[in-house]
Amino acid sequence: MESMDFKTSQAGTLESMDCLVTVTGPSDVRIIEVSGGSASRFRTAIELKVNEVLDGMGCDAGVRVTVQDNGAFGVVLGARVEAAFARYRGGALS
Amino acid sequence: MELNAVHREIPPRIDGYGDTSGKLFEGAFARHPSGYRSGARMRSFTPNSGSKLSGSIKDAIKASGLKSGMTISFHHHLRNGDYVVNQVIKSCAELGIGDLTIFPTALFEVHKGIIPYIKSGVVSRIMGSVNGAIGRLVSEGGLGSPVVLRSHGGRPRAVISGDVHIDVAFIAAPTADRAGNISGQMGSAACGSIGYAFTDAEYADVVVAITDNLQSYPISPVSISGIFVDLVAVTDFIGDPAGIVSGTTRVTRDPLRLLIAKYASRLIEASPYFMDGISFQTGAGGIPLAVTSFMREAMKRRDIRASFGLGGITGYFVDLMKEGLVQKLMDVQSFDLEAARSIASNPDHIEISADWYANPWNCGAAVNMLDVVILGATEVDVDFNANVNTEADGALLHGIGGHQDTAAGAKLTIIAQPLTRGRIPCVVDRVHTVTTPGDVVDAIVTEFGVTINPKRIDLLDACVDFAASREIPLIPMDELAAKAKSMCGAMEPIRTTDRVVAIVEWRDGTVIDIVRQLEKQVS
Repeated sequence: MESMDFKTSQAGTLESMDCLVTVTGPSDVRIIEVSGGSASRFRTAIELKVNEVLDGMGCDAGVRVTVQDNGAFGVVLGARVEAAFARYRGGALS
Repeated sequence: MELNAVHREIPPRIDGYGDTSGKLFEGAFARHPSGYRSGARMRSFTPNSGSKLSGSIKDAIKASGLKSGMTISFHHHLRNGDYVVNQVIKSCAELGIGDLTIFPTALFEVHKGIIPYIKSGVVSRIMGSVNGAIGRLVSEGGLGSPVVLRSHGGRPRAVISGDVHIDVAFIAAPTADRAGNISGQMGSAACGSIGYAFTDAEYADVVVAITDNLQSYPISPVSISGIFVDLVAVTDFIGDPAGIVSGTTRVTRDPLRLLIAKYASRLIEASPYFMDGISFQTGAGGIPLAVTSFMREAMKRRDIRASFGLGGITGYFVDLMKEGLVQKLMDVQSFDLEAARSIASNPDHIEISADWYANPWNCGAAVNMLDVVILGATEVDVDFNANVNTEADGALLHGIGGHQDTAAGAKLTIIAQPLTRGRIPCVVDRVHTVTTPGDVVDAIVTEFGVTINPKRIDLLDACVDFAASREIPLIPMDELAAKAKSMCGAMEPIRTTDRVVAIVEWRDGTVIDIVRQLEKQVS
């Protein structure tokens, strides 16, 4: 079986009101996993925000995005996803 | 389904609890007692009765006559250091006693040791606060019958009125003598006040003191007299001192919480109650302690002395008394070492029972003498209803404590908390569980200012007058709720099944709300 080059990048922290976003790939499809204190009440909002940021960055490759949430507001989550995906892609944040 | 006075649907019958018709919450002060007090079995101890002493908990259980299906009670002054509940339940299992109803004042994380005995049927019912792992187990349907939650005042009311009959009370006794006199003030497991255990001692058919510090007769001081106590079990350790009292309770250093405390203290100063003789309860939380700290400055500035501090007492309150800013402390639970030391040495630091503290159906509950109480809540809603029982994910994780009692008794009830905890809003359209009705909540204080219950126009006017001297931002409830919504975004609903896992009783024994089983395991 041919070996694949997996790549992982992260942004964020597990501090209160922050989240740790991990982007891993390649993956066949885009997978979003959410865990943490707010997951039970904000899962859909978190998934929407991740998709919005990735789409906005032109992400058309399959990646696995893991959000370990510790109460991040939407703007914080969005920034963490943007940074993690930028690192994954290898480009610098402007 | 019928709606109660806070618009909650209550099933007419709840398995494991009974009929709720005639027991729906009607209003904070709608119900009054009738009839006579319930009582314990009469018994005597004569010169020929032998000894009350048992060499082990197991021997004491045998001697108590405890049988399967009975109700046993515990008090929680040893908090997360308690060894007694776990030891008693384990001993019951070993003796083949099961199907027990346990009636603790509260269970803590340390009591997760009884979970195997819940699963095996030794414990089939819990009436009392469940925290941590046991709360989660209950939320997910792990207990056959629903938990019944009562406030610190509602519990003694239930016992005295006969709603609950205690067959055997097990009382953790930091010090005892061979006649069964008990004190919480001495011994390696000293916890200060043992106020929650008083009613159990008076109303249980059999009372077992469990001690690791047997002293010669008679001990002094005595908190619970041996006239109520049948058996004294001597064991090696009743608790871990490190889990019983915290070394120090500290004022918050978080700027956001300090701001909230500052606004709350200004509200108190603006109120008509800020005068010589004011009384207050502030508990042990970071924000309430900070409010106490700000009030201390204001009391000095305006040369005011408080008549008493009430409730769970901390070293911070003890310092206020030493400074002469508070004259007496009325203590149902000593939170830290300083409080435990003070109650043992200062006659102005008074040990009170839960009955005296908060029972709505007696003639002298201390909460009714209270001017100001600072409380917290998991969430409050636009009708000022407060939830302290369930977390944002719907799990049952906290007891009522004195929340209902002090809110109902105090002239000024303040809930002070940040507007959000993480992304979770603390002000919502409708709380998941009503613990305390909005009728008895006067103000919510957040980092955005003071939100006054529109029923308290007098307070609103007082704040407006006060604002001339010190800033006291006022924010109406609809604006506060909208702010929370815009910061946090829309929340998904909590998914539950129809099964009722807990009943929240108002302090008069009516059903103010129910908690339903969570639909799936929460990650």
